[in-house]
Amino acid sequence: MSAYVVRRVLSMLLLLLLLSLVVFILFSILPTDPARLTCGKACTPEIIEANRHRLGLDLPVMQQYWEFLKGLFVGRTYAANSPDPINCSAPCLGYSFRRREEVLILIKDGLPTTIWLALGAFVFWMVAGISLGVYAAIRRGTWRDKTVMSVSLVGYSLPSFFIGLLAIFFIIIKWNLLPYPSWVPPQENPIGFLQTMILPWIILAILYAAFYMRLTRNQMLEVLGEDYIRTARAKGLPERTVIGKHALRAGLTPIVTAAGLDLAGLLGGAIIIESLFSLPGIGSLAISSVNDSDLPVIVGITLVTATFIIVANLIVDLLYAAIDPRVRLG
Amino acid sequence: MGMAKKGAGVVVIGAAAALVLSACGGGSSSSSSSGGGSEAKAGGTLYYLTNLEQFDQVDPQRIYTGEDLAFFSGTIYRTLTSYKFSADPTEGTSVVPDLATDTGTATNGAKTWAFTIRDGATFQDGNPITCADVAYGVSRTFATDVITGGPTYAISMLDIPDDPAGGSAYKGPYVGTGQDLFDKAVTCSADNKTITFNLKRPVPDFNYTTTLLAFSPVPKAADTGEKYGDAPVSSGPYMIQENKNGKGGKMVLVRNPKWSAASDDYRPALPDSWEVDYGIDPKVIDQRLIKSAGPDATAIDLSVEPENLAVVYSNPNEAQPQFNGRAVSALDPYVRYFAINTQKVPNLKIRQAIAVALDREALRKNAGGDFSGDYADGVIKPNMGADYAPTGMWDTLLGQKIPDTGDPEYAKKLIAESGEAAPTITFDYPQSPTADKAAAIVVSSLGKAGITAKPNPIEPGSYYGVVFDPKKAHELINAGWGPDWPNASTIIPELFTPSGGFNLSQYDNAEYTAASDAAKIETDRAKQAKMWQDLNTQAMKDVVVVPTRFGRTQRMAGTQVNQSQVYLWPAYGSWPYGAMSAN
Amino acid sequence: MALTETAAPVASVAGRSLRQVVWSRIRHDKVAMTCLVILILLYLIAIFAPLICNLIGVDPYTFDGATISDSGGAPIGDWGGISRAHPLGVEWGTGRDILAQLLYGLRISLLIATSATIITVFLGTVIGIVSGYAGGRTDAVIGRSMDLILAFPFLLIILALSGVLTQRLSSLGVPEGNPSRILYMILVLSIFGWPYLARIVRGQVLSMREREYVEAAIAMGARTPRILFREILPNLWAPILVYATLTLPTYIATEAALSFLGIGVLPPDTSFGAMLANSVSYFSVVPSYLFIPGVVLVVLVVTFNLVGDAVRDALDPRSGRV
Repeated sequence: MSAYVVRRVLSMLLLLLLLSLVVFILFSILPTDPARLTCGKACTPEIIEANRHRLGLDLPVMQQYWEFLKGLFVGRTYAANSPDPINCSAPCLGYSFRRREEVLILIKDGLPTTIWLALGAFVFWMVAGISLGVYAAIRRGTWRDKTVMSVSLVGYSLPSFFIGLLAIFFIIIKWNLLPYPSWVPPQENPIGFLQTMILPWIILAILYAAFYMRLTRNQMLEVLGEDYIRTARAKGLPERTVIGKHALRAGLTPIVTAAGLDLAGLLGGAIIIESLFSLPGIGSLAISSVNDSDLPVIVGITLVTATFIIVANLIVDLLYAAIDPRVRLG
Repeated sequence: MGMAKKGAGVVVIGAAAALVLSACGGGSSSSSSSGGGSEAKAGGTLYYLTNLEQFDQVDPQRIYTGEDLAFFSGTIYRTLTSYKFSADPTEGTSVVPDLATDTGTATNGAKTWAFTIRDGATFQDGNPITCADVAYGVSRTFATDVITGGPTYAISMLDIPDDPAGGSAYKGPYVGTGQDLFDKAVTCSADNKTITFNLKRPVPDFNYTTTLLAFSPVPKAADTGEKYGDAPVSSGPYMIQENKNGKGGKMVLVRNPKWSAASDDYRPALPDSWEVDYGIDPKVIDQRLIKSAGPDATAIDLSVEPENLAVVYSNPNEAQPQFNGRAVSALDPYVRYFAINTQKVPNLKIRQAIAVALDREALRKNAGGDFSGDYADGVIKPNMGADYAPTGMWDTLLGQKIPDTGDPEYAKKLIAESGEAAPTITFDYPQSPTADKAAAIVVSSLGKAGITAKPNPIEPGSYYGVVFDPKKAHELINAGWGPDWPNASTIIPELFTPSGGFNLSQYDNAEYTAASDAAKIETDRAKQAKMWQDLNTQAMKDVVVVPTRFGRTQRMAGTQVNQSQVYLWPAYGSWPYGAMSAN
Repeated sequence: MALTETAAPVASVAGRSLRQVVWSRIRHDKVAMTCLVILILLYLIAIFAPLICNLIGVDPYTFDGATISDSGGAPIGDWGGISRAHPLGVEWGTGRDILAQLLYGLRISLLIATSATIITVFLGTVIGIVSGYAGGRTDAVIGRSMDLILAFPFLLIILALSGVLTQRLSSLGVPEGNPSRILYMILVLSIFGWPYLARIVRGQVLSMREREYVEAAIAMGARTPRILFREILPNLWAPILVYATLTLPTYIATEAALSFLGIGVLPPDTSFGAMLANSVSYFSVVPSYLFIPGVVLVVLVVTFNLVGDAVRDALDPRSGRV
């Protein structure tokens, strides 16, 4: 087992390294000149050149990449030779000259909102998805099952920005059921927090719940056909126990796997929902960095998000391996 | 070139700080003083709601957006002179003493200017503000690699020679090269109270220049260079207690305990604190101000969404009764125009054809019709006073009268006369849904004249970075500009001469530049005004730009903001922040 | 944010040819048949959009200043100025016809989603087969690349790179403007979409390699291409078909989301996403700006999903709606 873990962790680190390289090369071909953006009205080619040098943008791409990697571990100093250096302590994920802030700090600032958004939506979609999925599986073939499945189909056909706009239009503007969303941390104002988050949670959850409903239903149908379930039923165990204790538990693994990966993906920010509801999370940071061509932030978010997904993948794989020894050989 | 960001955030209009000399016709629909406001009271918090996620700059030497200049000069930075708080077009752009005891003394044919600093003025740390602090602040502008984005009048006006490479021989306080040159150009009296500026050429209105925050004091010991804006030292009645950028972030200004009212008769400084709330959706801002409930009763904003115009206003000059006295709709300082890149479109007939073909009526309707402003005939607005005269752009300059909807047939004729094939041009603009529709209008109206136009939307945040790059700018460039003070010397040379900072047209006409240089140093104001009028007309005749609109702006204040100070301040086309208060 | 069906359960159907079985099952599924008819109609409408607009007498590019107010640019009349001349109203500020914009938007949406699906299927199938059949180092390299691609926050990457890559496409000879932008969308959707299918195909190939008839073919000395295309590919149609029908609607929704975020086609052309983005500023006054493109978009995606579901059910009755 430990050899397997080491192998997987090493390959994950390699993947991360590769990913950062790809990201760096991808973005180094962008035409927007970050040095140009540091310069205002009295811009002369000399000033731009000087700034490019200060930011280390005059180095070859691979050397810039090396500086970046080094910064991750030992920190780095921008414009070291100027009278006005900028320190970015390790782990230095870059420095946004546009926002005059370290990228890591910007991401850390956005993370709590994004985590709240992701966790809330996660709870909603898991509860709704699994319970409706189980319900549909038990009532297989009835009009109830068909209704649940149709709802799920419509659910995952609805683009999130459209449901988001609909919710804003009806619930906030037309019916005044909720105030306009304005983010507050839960510890400051729990009610305001709930009022702001409830719609984003539900909207995000609809999309995922629809998928989990189907997944759960299919899993359940498969498990319910197995011999041991028939045996349990034959033994006269109450249906509640059969479903809850045996069937659901057996069918849960793939659901949990998918849930882990989806949650990790969401921690990278939900661009559309966050910007629709003005939530100051990673997704909003991402979109405003794209609008500002704030390259260091885009690179930083890409790397952090990808890391979440890769790490989640690893955890899921390791858990699998722990449960099922055959995986290790595969 | 600070970027004046219009409410919608994504809409970026490049323009400097600016003035509106007279809200001609339009006026402001706000209360004049007759509005039923109660007495201004001290105390309370004013909330400034914005959808922007941060101030462009907080560093005084780097601020160059009209609204920001007004906000920070009213709250945390003092300058030698400032503009009077008044809705009146003339009074509101007149210079009054602020940190200085008077509006300055010009000698040596306006080539030498002296200001004496008031007694009792201190920084937030309690240290008195001295001549050396003002001089140090001014010197920061010269560090062009660190202090970017701000106005550079100090560099072009102070009597410091250029180095062979073309920049100033003084490289700013951080490097220190040429410090002696600067110390000769800006001198302090023995008591460190009187500051004297020695200029290259006569500048009769130099005391207008000194209203810019680039001329505000900075204590050398507290200067952290690039990061100074993160923790600047206040010289005004408020100081920054907290500043967190981004959505959900805010800047909180609290009273500066060391500020002495006795040393500052310019700022009433009535509210106890200011709070700037960043990154709020424009629709949300509108709803909050319309309701004006709770703390929003003392909130202000910078724009009104198109869908709410009819809710708030009965027409562009008049608010609906329930918003009377707290909704403003007035001409702003900016002229909107399309710059034509004269390097890429050197043929005058083609430039004329572009101007003739454009459907300016559709463009104006798309921007909000008469709420968005009046048709423009040049880059100098009527509210610039003497500097403005009708150019006749659309009546005679283009050979015949051009309707607002454009004249595709005449444009075709001009193209035929040009001796060239009908051109294919690209239109650069900062992307937003409204701007996309404007681009569609450009494409279709030029298309009717046989000109192929391709839209090139650019991410708003990097827009000016792109179009100022001669390698990347295309033929037609969306832009907007407002003057830095009430003299077209802050318009014509900036827009139409090679050394200008906003010459998007890349216009380089030796004769024109010479005439502009002559106008700059003309000390007879009436004569100078005539020269600017002619230069404005000349540029339109040469179709260096196609002016589309003299812009108009709408904004709201909450019900409990004292209505006597709810107006568009002509000095910057902004709120009169320093004078505002809660009821 | 796009959820993609990762594993479509597939059964091998013996006896009658797969096509016959599937077709007969779908033919008896009323919902599926209705949806199929709707889809064919939508494609026809998209293809003949200019003709239809001409017949109705609307045009997406004509500015009708008379239909909007001089003050503020609001359309004159209820529901965005619905009238005989403009059956679905006109755009705020320009007076352009909404119906015509919608039809042209449908065209672009279907063009992008359909092309991207075809490319995705092609890439996914080829790479999946190669990966599964070759095994060893090739399989490992492909596997790692897929991990890499799937780890990217693709929405962010697509947004951030749109400007430069569109330009690059133009410099490679693709006509500037919309052709480059549309091609960019098609390519990025495909690039981020193929790994899902490749994984499924690879799994199928792996299991098939072990089957007797393939082993027999190898033993008989058949060349690799022959084995791949004659023996293996025919057995992959089922998962590929299911994947394709379920991917297309995902792409329609993703394309709309991307143009909602501002990287769609250039003006004067428009798309569902751009129309919805534009509606945001006005919908409290003119809700039809939100509903019209939104409902059409949802109908489009739901219909595709229903057909996709039916195809899957037809291939594997066990998993479906019974």
